[in-house]
Amino acid sequence: MKTPSIASLVFTWLALLALLAVTTASAYLDLGAGNTVLNLIIAAIKVALIAVFFMHLGRADGAVHIAAGAALFFLFILAFLAFGDVLTRPSHSTPWRAPLLEASGTEAGLTY
Amino acid sequence: MRESVAHFGSVTQAREAARLGVWVFLATELMFFGPLFFGYAWGRLKLGAGFAAASGHTDIMIGTTNTAVLLTSSLFMALAVRAIEIGKRRAATRCLWITAALGASFLGLKAFEYLKEWHEQLIPWLDFRFEPPALRNGAALFYFLYFGMTGLHALHLTIGIGIVCTFARRLRSHSPAAMRAQLEGAALYWHFVDAIWVVLFPLIYLVERHG
Repeated sequence: MKTPSIASLVFTWLALLALLAVTTASAYLDLGAGNTVLNLIIAAIKVALIAVFFMHLGRADGAVHIAAGAALFFLFILAFLAFGDVLTRPSHSTPWRAPLLEASGTEAGLTY
Repeated sequence: MRESVAHFGSVTQAREAARLGVWVFLATELMFFGPLFFGYAWGRLKLGAGFAAASGHTDIMIGTTNTAVLLTSSLFMALAVRAIEIGKRRAATRCLWITAALGASFLGLKAFEYLKEWHEQLIPWLDFRFEPPALRNGAALFYFLYFGMTGLHALHLTIGIGIVCTFARRLRSHSPAAMRAQLEGAALYWHFVDAIWVVLFPLIYLVERHG
């Protein structure tokens, strides 16, 4: 296990701040769906930087890699099955409620 | 004082077991935050216009500052772990106090932001107001998830600050070697909470800012 140098930690921090600046600035450009995609890609890179350099995922042993990988894998299964359900069916209101009105913004049948 | 080995074969093995334990705990934490992210994704797909309008009402200055504050706190946490590894007790203690102070500043700014949202009547069920009315439901779901996600994150950060302060105090009477495994675990937790915020930040503050 090698102790990280101060320089590598500071560089990681500077890279994280630079990515924060890029993601914030890009939000003011109209890139359509590209805004969301870019934001998520930058967030993923930042999380990877934190995991590898701050959480030392790079120098950790195999069991730790399996634990981290399993977390993402199970999150994927949860998301995949949940979205497989909600995205392939129309939203129905409950029988005791008034019919849904798409245009009035109550399409999800939610009221607060 | 010697690092406790207990039933482990060696100090290294004990440290590796502690590290794995924290990672498994963080895996369950991800499952904890996961459903909120799914709820958000669903709302973004079904009530996109309301989400975009609601995101426009969030304070991007506070959000961006807070992200920078938390990223900086993670740097000091990593520096504290490094100092412990090379046996520098004073440097480690100082880095830990800075980490805790930055975490507390984050919470302070967050509380100020909540107060602002309360004045702007953006808290669902508490006389929630949003114009135009057609986007009200989408905006209400956005703010419901916003308070859920940032609230859960703030709770984690509060626990993190408590742990960091406890360890900074404990370093006075314990040797760096004895504290190493514990501090590594606390650092993993701290960085995880930081990483959660890194994902929350664009979802909350950066939706359709250009409009």
